[in-house]
Amino acid sequence: MLRLCYAIAETGYALIVDDDALTSRIEALVLASDEPLTIKRLVAVLGDDIASGDIRAALLELETHYSTRGIRLVQVADGWQFRTADEHAASVQQLWQIRPSRLSRSALETLAIIAYRQPTTRAEIEALRGVKTSGSIIATLQEREWIKVLGRKDVPGRPHLYGTGRQFLVDFNLNSLNDLPESSQLLDDDEKEQMISNHRGEEQ
Amino acid sequence: MMQPVQADLFPADGDKQPVMPPVHLDQFEGPLDLLLHLIRSQQMDIFDIPIAMLTSQYLALLVEPDQPAAAQQAGLDLDIAGDYLVMASTLMQLKSRMLLPRPQLDDEGNAIDPRAELAAQLIAYEQYRLLAEELNARPRLGRDVFARCIFPEAENVERPLPEADLDALLLAFRHVLKRVGGEVRHQILVETMSVREQMRLVLERLGAGGMQLDEMLQDSPGREALVTTVLAILELWRQQSISVVQSECYGSVTLLPKQVMH
Repeated sequence: MLRLCYAIAETGYALIVDDDALTSRIEALVLASDEPLTIKRLVAVLGDDIASGDIRAALLELETHYSTRGIRLVQVADGWQFRTADEHAASVQQLWQIRPSRLSRSALETLAIIAYRQPTTRAEIEALRGVKTSGSIIATLQEREWIKVLGRKDVPGRPHLYGTGRQFLVDFNLNSLNDLPESSQLLDDDEKEQMISNHRGEEQ
Repeated sequence: MMQPVQADLFPADGDKQPVMPPVHLDQFEGPLDLLLHLIRSQQMDIFDIPIAMLTSQYLALLVEPDQPAAAQQAGLDLDIAGDYLVMASTLMQLKSRMLLPRPQLDDEGNAIDPRAELAAQLIAYEQYRLLAEELNARPRLGRDVFARCIFPEAENVERPLPEADLDALLLAFRHVLKRVGGEVRHQILVETMSVREQMRLVLERLGAGGMQLDEMLQDSPGREALVTTVLAILELWRQQSISVVQSECYGSVTLLPKQVMH
């Protein structure tokens, strides 16, 4: 009897140590990875006997642990990565002696339209913005791997269809496209029609 | 070119117009951006746009005499002005359609507001303009947040160049001159190994049959010998005195004397 209790106590102890050990191992792996580390990749490294649920729990524990520190554990592009907290941006820029390049408004608008309407064509972007889209804007966005050609639209001229790439999620601190701000408030064409005709109704 | 047209069409509008703060076309992303600015800054109702007033304000901005260089060329540079001019004609068309006594009816017999399409376009653009701002406000990797990486020389960043200072440069040069004793000599090294000699050696060693490239290079002492041997092999290959065979990507390279190849 005594022996059994002892055994239970021992197992309990072992479990706690295991949890902490797993969390600390995962912490090391995330830091050592150059890319956001996915749970899939963590399972592959840690071995099949560790449940992905436990890994997730450990990551969430770490996320909470770092939430008040100078570095944060963030979930981007379906993976986990340590990043400096954004309130320290100026200091890190000074350390690295960098002046981050600014994006022009036209590039940002083009990117926003592609992100929210993908797959979309250049003609659609031009119709929405009311101006011609210069090739250099598309090229810049492609160079940064924020957008990519997804295919061609089956209409005369077979124009390129653009969409966002994985790097867009990584660079804009997004876990998935669903995390884009306010996407639910975006009206589609029918809703806009509705809004305008409602307004007309009110007037009459 | 457009001034007289505008003057003729809207002679009376000028007096009633509220005074607008000066704006320049190159502040705007295009005609929609400019229209939204006019509408929002004067708190016009986007669903009930006073087309006549908006059109005259819009045209006035387009032909503003003190526009900066980019817009000054508007009359010539169709790439920039084209989109603005198309919008100008759309506005003028809308204005004339608003004056028609009989409005067009849709399938259900309701009057079609000719401005509805423009309003929809403006609302859509305004949304994306807002979304673009929100996107820009997100903490961005390499701008606001930074990931640990092996090479902190992230791409797409501008490194400030050090302040140029001629005196400092001259001073540094003087220090260098002092250190080398005020004189810099060129030293010309005589080639100690000849490619021709090495070619002879390679052929000699291949006399017994084929040989792996690794094996051939193994006994070459030092960088110079290595380079000379490789040059010799390439030269022999060019002369078709030997054959070089690699059966797979990244696989081993075999050197064969010509006579062994059937």
